[in-house]
Amino acid sequence: MRHRSSRLIALFVAVMLATVGFASQTLGQGGGDRSDLRFVVVTHGQASDPYWSVVQNGVNQAAKDMGVEVEYQAPDTFDMVAMSQLIDAAVASQPDGIALSIPDADALGDSIKAGVDAGIPMISLDSGSDVAADLGMLTHVGQTEYEAGVGAGKRMGEAGVTTALCVNQEVGNVALDDRCRGFTDGLAESGGTVELVEVKLNNPTEAQARIEAALSTNPDVNGILALGPTGAAPALEALRGTGQLGAIQLATFDLSPDVLDAIESGDILFAIDSQQYMQGYLPIVLLTLYATNLNTIANPVLMTGPGFVTKENAAQVIELAAAGTR
Amino acid sequence: MQVTHAAEVRPAPEADERVAKTSRVRRLLVRPEVGAMAGAVAVWIFFAIAAGDRGFLSLRGTANYLEVAAQLGILAVAVALLMIGGEFDLSIGSAIGACGIIFALLSAELGWNVWLAMLASLGFALLLGVFNGYLVLRTELPSFIITLGTLLMVRGVTIGITRQLTGRTVVSGLDDVPGYDAIRTIFASDVRIGGAEFSIAIVWWLGVAALATWVLLRTSFGNWIFGVGGNQQAARNVGVPISLVKIVLFMGTAVAAWLVAMIQVLGARSADVVRGTGSEFTAIIAAVIGGVLLTGGYGSAIGPVFGALIFGMVRQGIVFMGVDPGWENAVLGAMLVIAVLVNRYIRTLAMGAR
Amino acid sequence: MSQTATTNGTPLLEVENVSRYFGSVIALKDISMSVHAGEVMCLLGDNGAGKSTLIKIFSGVYPPSEGRYLVEGDEVHFRSPREALAAGIATVYQDLAMIPLMSISRNFFLGSEPTTGWGPFRRFDVEAADRISRDELHKMGIHVRDTGQAVGTLSGGERQSVAIARAVYFGAKVLILDEPTAALGVKEAGVVLRYIAQARARGLGVIFISHNVHHAYPVGDRFTLLNRGRSYGTFAKSEISREEVVRMMAGGEELEELGHELEEFARLDAKATATPVAADAEAKLLEMGREFEAEGREVIG
Repeated sequence: MRHRSSRLIALFVAVMLATVGFASQTLGQGGGDRSDLRFVVVTHGQASDPYWSVVQNGVNQAAKDMGVEVEYQAPDTFDMVAMSQLIDAAVASQPDGIALSIPDADALGDSIKAGVDAGIPMISLDSGSDVAADLGMLTHVGQTEYEAGVGAGKRMGEAGVTTALCVNQEVGNVALDDRCRGFTDGLAESGGTVELVEVKLNNPTEAQARIEAALSTNPDVNGILALGPTGAAPALEALRGTGQLGAIQLATFDLSPDVLDAIESGDILFAIDSQQYMQGYLPIVLLTLYATNLNTIANPVLMTGPGFVTKENAAQVIELAAAGTR
Repeated sequence: MQVTHAAEVRPAPEADERVAKTSRVRRLLVRPEVGAMAGAVAVWIFFAIAAGDRGFLSLRGTANYLEVAAQLGILAVAVALLMIGGEFDLSIGSAIGACGIIFALLSAELGWNVWLAMLASLGFALLLGVFNGYLVLRTELPSFIITLGTLLMVRGVTIGITRQLTGRTVVSGLDDVPGYDAIRTIFASDVRIGGAEFSIAIVWWLGVAALATWVLLRTSFGNWIFGVGGNQQAARNVGVPISLVKIVLFMGTAVAAWLVAMIQVLGARSADVVRGTGSEFTAIIAAVIGGVLLTGGYGSAIGPVFGALIFGMVRQGIVFMGVDPGWENAVLGAMLVIAVLVNRYIRTLAMGAR
Repeated sequence: MSQTATTNGTPLLEVENVSRYFGSVIALKDISMSVHAGEVMCLLGDNGAGKSTLIKIFSGVYPPSEGRYLVEGDEVHFRSPREALAAGIATVYQDLAMIPLMSISRNFFLGSEPTTGWGPFRRFDVEAADRISRDELHKMGIHVRDTGQAVGTLSGGERQSVAIARAVYFGAKVLILDEPTAALGVKEAGVVLRYIAQARARGLGVIFISHNVHHAYPVGDRFTLLNRGRSYGTFAKSEISREEVVRMMAGGEELEELGHELEEFARLDAKATATPVAADAEAKLLEMGREFEAEGREVIG
């Protein structure tokens, strides 16, 4: 028993060391005099989320192009406590810069301030555009969610939508909540109304069932806005299932291969692209320039969206999406 | 150990040849906490080498993993006591969410006094503990099943009520509540040591562990916990009040969840319905790493302290190493298995291959 | 060893015409027996005789359906084992006496821990527990160097002995032992029997339940035999031999009859075929018959 125990231990230690050694390949390669620069990216987007994997691709490519070392960290689930601890860890490792998303300024504020006080240059991306300047960010790279929502509402109104659903896959995420808010206000300009449908981020079957239920309770609905591919895909399925594809206008935020195909075939009216590849790419470039040249951006927000993908430009975007850059 | 029989005539008491001498060192190694302590030292050395220059050895880094360890550690100690008493509580994750939401709803949305809101959420925790204990005793079903049920019920009610009252799943705006600063000092303030902020949760954690150890080893109640977990029927036969012991233990885990909820809510200035998800399992794992038997009747409160420490070091250590977060669970799982094996190996060694 | 067949004074424990029914099943019918101080009463009977039902009545798990249960002359109605324990009736079950993972002293004092200090600082006096348990075991003739060691390190017989010492210490007046030697080897059983004698010497009344007459007979003063819920009566040691006890316990009579029948067959067959082979078979059958007969008088198991 003793021998078996110690052999088992040795085996597990070996496996673990190999795993960790393999896994600690950091993103990006060194080269040039920037090779000793190291940045940490902390977001609330899990690796399994198709939206955020494009962000990560942008980060990777920027690291290669700039010749710097970058680490990407995110919590398992949408947990602000865990994320604040990741930011603390990043600050403790004393990098040359941090890029992060700010989905909840109240919860993350202390950790962010600690980083700023420690003299680490920080840039925010994706969410937190309204608090970035106050928290001491060099700039914010992303789209302002409320305005993007308003834009969506206006477009939907022009397309003749009077009653719409807003499908939110991550209620509590201030940015998404803002999108629905903006959508409601934007559609109200043409006299329409919006109802909120909440679905879970990682349960598409359940999401589809929820949307179908909402449709049957509200027969007047002639428009659906999803806030991301994880809401758009089940919405598409729900419409297909109830045979209302085409009768009900579907639009969404953010792109995915399914969404792009649906735009091409006319099932989806338009998609709002916040161009998250740029949101991953640009902060690395800006941090590198700041570290090497003390360059700063004058604008508090670098808006990467809303960009509208419609039937007209869908085909080209599809090619780019296949490459993982849109 | 020698057992001689008065009626037999022997020239001198001979040692039973089957019983080897037990040295003091060996007796020390058998104690459940020593294995976990050895594991903690080994993990610390590993990360000191692998990520020492990346911040693991810095004061900030230490404060970072200690904060993670503290929040888990409070739960692990309470869960350990319950496991020694022979039961499991899977509902603590939901209890964390619920207590936080209750506090935030009452103080931020309904304008209650912060201290009353705190007491109300504590009251909920105590009631939940009594409810869990009562159900387990009455139905005689495994506590695993019962608390799985309360896990789902509590989480569902939390989300439902919050959505009903606020339309969202996050309740924020706590820093605008009068009295917030005072109550935050108790649960979520930081102590500045050498330029790094150490969370006061660490003090709570060590305090809870000290209290639990004292109860376990130095009170009658603690003896009853061992008895109930070791052999419930035998304990009942000698008059130990089984119902009281179990209900109090379930109240203990619920109160631990309340404490963690307060720490998180006051630190994040908001309550989220999904807080605490999954923590029931990490608490059990930390307890097991700490030498608590899954079958009950054996363990300590100090072992889980090291178990939580190992967890905190691993979780944050791999961040310091720059490992892609997708690998975190794989590494965590492997470390868990190693820690448990090491623990068992040391105990087998010390008990002479029983 | 006490030889008196009848002891004077009020019995510590007595049941009069006690019956117990479970639905339509008659587990016990009209049982009467008693135990006095300083006496070992053996309750014998094969499996299914009703011994465990009777113990449960004694220890307060459930009341008798009919009849009276008296402790020191007063009728009692226990509602729980705790009440019986408080009245001085201590029951030691075979496998539920000790908790293996806990130390000897903690086991000894479980439920009745010695404390020092006051108010919220009242603490379990570990030193006193270790000392007292060691002394009490010593008085029973068990010498343990360190009572802080786990009970699991003791053998089965030693664990039973600790349980007996515990009952004696906590003021048991009647000690009920449920099959204490059933799972023990010969030497271990002897150890337990010795401690039973010690308990008797200290003035307790002991009810010793067993289906093994070889263990019970040497240490008992009186014997009550149960068979399928009914009692054959109570006999003092001077009134009954070991062989008779075995016979009266289920099986002895039947096996003896079987032995007679086999011998009959052998004789009939021999008459029918008087060949050497048959004679050989006859001899073998005769031998087998006698063996059965003898076994009928021996203990079964």
